[in-house]
Amino acid sequence: MRLHRLRSRIVAFYTVLSLLISVAGLGVMNFFINRNAQSQIAEELLIGDRVFRRTLSDKSHQLEQAASVLAADFAFREAVATRDRDTLLSALENHGRRIHANLMMMIDPDGNLTANTLDEDAVPGRFGYPALLERARANGRASGIVSTNDHLYQLVLVAVRAPAVIGWVAMGFAVNDSGARDLSALTSLQVSVLARAANNDWHLIATTIDKAAQPRLKTSLMPLLTAANGYSARPIVVAKDLTLFAPLTLENGEAAVAVLQRSLREALQPFDQLRRLLAALAALGLAATVLGSVAIARGITGPLSTLSDVARRIAKGDYSEPIAVTKQDEVGELAAALHHMRTDIATREATIMDLAYRDPLTRLPNRALFNERLQQAIPTAKRSGTAISVLTLDLDNFKYVNNTLGHANGDLLLQQVGLRIQSALMRQTDTLARLGGDEFAILLPAADLVGAREIANRVLKVLETPVSIEGHTVDVAASIGIVSYPQHGQDVLTLMSRVDLSMAVAKRNKSGFAEYDVSYDQTPERLSLLSELRQATENDELILYYQPKLDIAAGQITYVEALLRWQHPRRGFVAPDEFIPFAEQTGYIRVITQWVLDTALKQTAAWRLRGLELNMCVNISARDLLNPDLTQHIARLLKQHGVNPGWIWLEITESAIMDDPIRAQQVIEELHHMGLHLSIDDFGTGYSSLAYLKRLPVDELKIDKSFVLNMNKDHDDAIIVRSTIDLGHNMNLKVVAEGVDCEETLQLLDKLGCDIAQGYHICRPLAVDKFEQWLAGFARAPRHAA
Amino acid sequence: MLRLATACQPLSAAGRLRVLAVGFMLNAGITPHCQAGTVELVVHDQLGAALGDAVVFVVPKSGASPAGPAPAVIDQVAKAFLPKVSIVEAGAEVTFPNKDNIKHHVYSFSPAKVFELKLYSGIPAKPVVFEKPGIVVLGCNIHDGMIAYVYVVDSPYHALTDATGKATLTDVPPADYTLHVWHFRMPSTAAVSQPIAVRAQGASTAVTLKVEPDAPVPPPLE
Repeated sequence: MRLHRLRSRIVAFYTVLSLLISVAGLGVMNFFINRNAQSQIAEELLIGDRVFRRTLSDKSHQLEQAASVLAADFAFREAVATRDRDTLLSALENHGRRIHANLMMMIDPDGNLTANTLDEDAVPGRFGYPALLERARANGRASGIVSTNDHLYQLVLVAVRAPAVIGWVAMGFAVNDSGARDLSALTSLQVSVLARAANNDWHLIATTIDKAAQPRLKTSLMPLLTAANGYSARPIVVAKDLTLFAPLTLENGEAAVAVLQRSLREALQPFDQLRRLLAALAALGLAATVLGSVAIARGITGPLSTLSDVARRIAKGDYSEPIAVTKQDEVGELAAALHHMRTDIATREATIMDLAYRDPLTRLPNRALFNERLQQAIPTAKRSGTAISVLTLDLDNFKYVNNTLGHANGDLLLQQVGLRIQSALMRQTDTLARLGGDEFAILLPAADLVGAREIANRVLKVLETPVSIEGHTVDVAASIGIVSYPQHGQDVLTLMSRVDLSMAVAKRNKSGFAEYDVSYDQTPERLSLLSELRQATENDELILYYQPKLDIAAGQITYVEALLRWQHPRRGFVAPDEFIPFAEQTGYIRVITQWVLDTALKQTAAWRLRGLELNMCVNISARDLLNPDLTQHIARLLKQHGVNPGWIWLEITESAIMDDPIRAQQVIEELHHMGLHLSIDDFGTGYSSLAYLKRLPVDELKIDKSFVLNMNKDHDDAIIVRSTIDLGHNMNLKVVAEGVDCEETLQLLDKLGCDIAQGYHICRPLAVDKFEQWLAGFARAPRHAA
Repeated sequence: MLRLATACQPLSAAGRLRVLAVGFMLNAGITPHCQAGTVELVVHDQLGAALGDAVVFVVPKSGASPAGPAPAVIDQVAKAFLPKVSIVEAGAEVTFPNKDNIKHHVYSFSPAKVFELKLYSGIPAKPVVFEKPGIVVLGCNIHDGMIAYVYVVDSPYHALTDATGKATLTDVPPADYTLHVWHFRMPSTAAVSQPIAVRAQGASTAVTLKVEPDAPVPPPLE
């Protein structure tokens, strides 16, 4: 079984650990109990052996004493001395009975057996145990164990003196079951005595063992008794009994052994209860461990599972359910942390959703959300067979509100407009979004063109009332484009591009709103223009024409304006008005401006090399002003072509400056610091304030040609031109008039004190070689205004 | 091994005796000058130490009887018989004066003379007559340590060896005798005997006895 689950692992670990500890503990305990018991029994056996020997010795003393008393008895000595065998026998029997001796014998001083109570009729012969007799002769008495007739006797020999030794009285005590029992009572051991018979068979002489168990005892002991290498001095285990062999020294070299035994099982019995108790304790401990570890594991894994579920729900984006773990421990902390994470994620997700899908200014849905809703609405409409209408709305002249009242007020206006449009909507399902800038969009699910028109009219109506912002009253007008699904398109992209076209048409026609019409899309030129413009820069289809500027007072050509021309291979000459706005719209103007600057600076450097000290004027678009790389790019080109920045005049239209006055001022100041001259182009057509102009480090005003063209006929224009010239001169600016078409105008300008004149009367824009020819001619015959 | 010889008449090979049963040795005296009628003996133990209080007597092979037994006295002094060893001729009367201030109970179970003088003090009224030759061992029934030996002989030629182990039998008429030597430390009651020829100039011999260590007094019982 593989334990994947934490709970199983914890429970298994503790169970196995506890089991191992229990088993090891019990094993060790058992081992020591057994060992201690064994050594205790062994000790008991050794003590038993000593007791046994001591008992034998005591008994022999007792015998000796009894025999000595007998031997000293005068009457007994007299009986011995009489040498009357019958008298002697009866005396022996009599005295033997007194001390419960089993055997009485009389031996004469020469070692002949004269009487024997065991065998009264025996023929007298030598006493059978000469060694015993010898010891008795030496010490007056002696004792030993003798074997006779399959019996063992403890035999004592004591001299009978009168007062010289007149004989030896022998008294014997049989070794029997009763003696064994006495010893057993003393030692708590099983005592058996075995003797070897003449035929080498061993006889059980005495034992405390039950009769039934005796054959088994003999069988188990026999191999050990007959073993050649003698008996072990230490107790050994024989058939579940710890056994000690205590060999007995017999007269005549015969063999006998006392066997002391103690049943191991019996000896261990007192420990059995302890063992059972320990086993029960171990089992209890094991059970407690298992239950405890299950409880702990459950306490950990239960909440963890709950938390896992919560985490899965959070992963799916379901933040609704609170976390149901109420513990105070680490798991509780984890739960609390998860809970915080859940609420934080929910909050953050709401914020992200808000940022992603809401316009921060108006709190309306943004383009992304609008597109998404439209995307979702399409299949629904398809299924139900209903229509969807989409309206886009663009404020007219919002740019001017922004410019005149400031961005903050522009933002307020947008918020007001948002609220107004929202109020015009009639259903909860309708969506108003701000797509960006002053552009709004309305999604009308389940609404056809009739419904859309109604909404468009309502919107236009609510916008009729002027909006009041910070005390200013602002007139708001809007152009609305309308498309309808499925009539005008099947997908979001098509619908949105067509509604934009419709809106552009409405704006152009100042018609309030316009529904999409197929004809709006028929402008293939527009689509291909960008790619062609790209080709133009790559294929050198762009050319710079140069138009000289006349220093009226000096009558010299000191400036030349670089003007962009496109020589299209198929269409021929393309006027700048046709592609510059488009280039500005698409951002491609940056590439074009770079090209223009590069070419013009290169040309300046070339002319200067040839001694033509011309100042180069280059037009910069509004879009270029927003390009953060502009100044660096110019600096790089100046360095590259070795052109002095003072030779270069950058012409920026007044309206370009006013699109983003703050940014424009920044860029103009940077360019001024670089040493470049700056000129405000088309002056008089924009909305610039003099206060603002005063702050700009410009060098030149260029009066718009619309004022110059008719100044010789139109008195008002002449006044404007004169005022502008005066204004410029008062601000220490050079004043340039362009659109000088006739000598009369030139004369007038000269009279008004205008510094520089430019126009067809002087010279139209020319390709570089033509220009150089013209310049050479002019040098030969300079045209003086005067 | 026993060698017996006189200077005047060396023993033939046939005269050599072997008395191995008791393991004693009798050496022929190698005295160049013999005295008539006097037998000189010296008794040693098996280690060569002189044995005092050894009973020595010769009995004529013809079987002569003693002329007349002389009475003897065996005192009891300080819980001991004095003398410890006596030789009396058969038929001799022996008195046992008790010179201690305690009573004694003198007895003998020896086959040569069984008697009993029950507890008494002073001199018993009648002496004890030892009629039969043999060794009589005397004891006191109430004092186990008291022992005395009375050797009853039927020959007038007897003596006890002195402390140097020597004994002299005088006025022994030349004849063939049997020499008996006994000591109470011998393991048996039987005396060592050997023939001895006494000539006019007498005889001289040395006897070695195998004896046991001085009579073991049984250790008192615990």
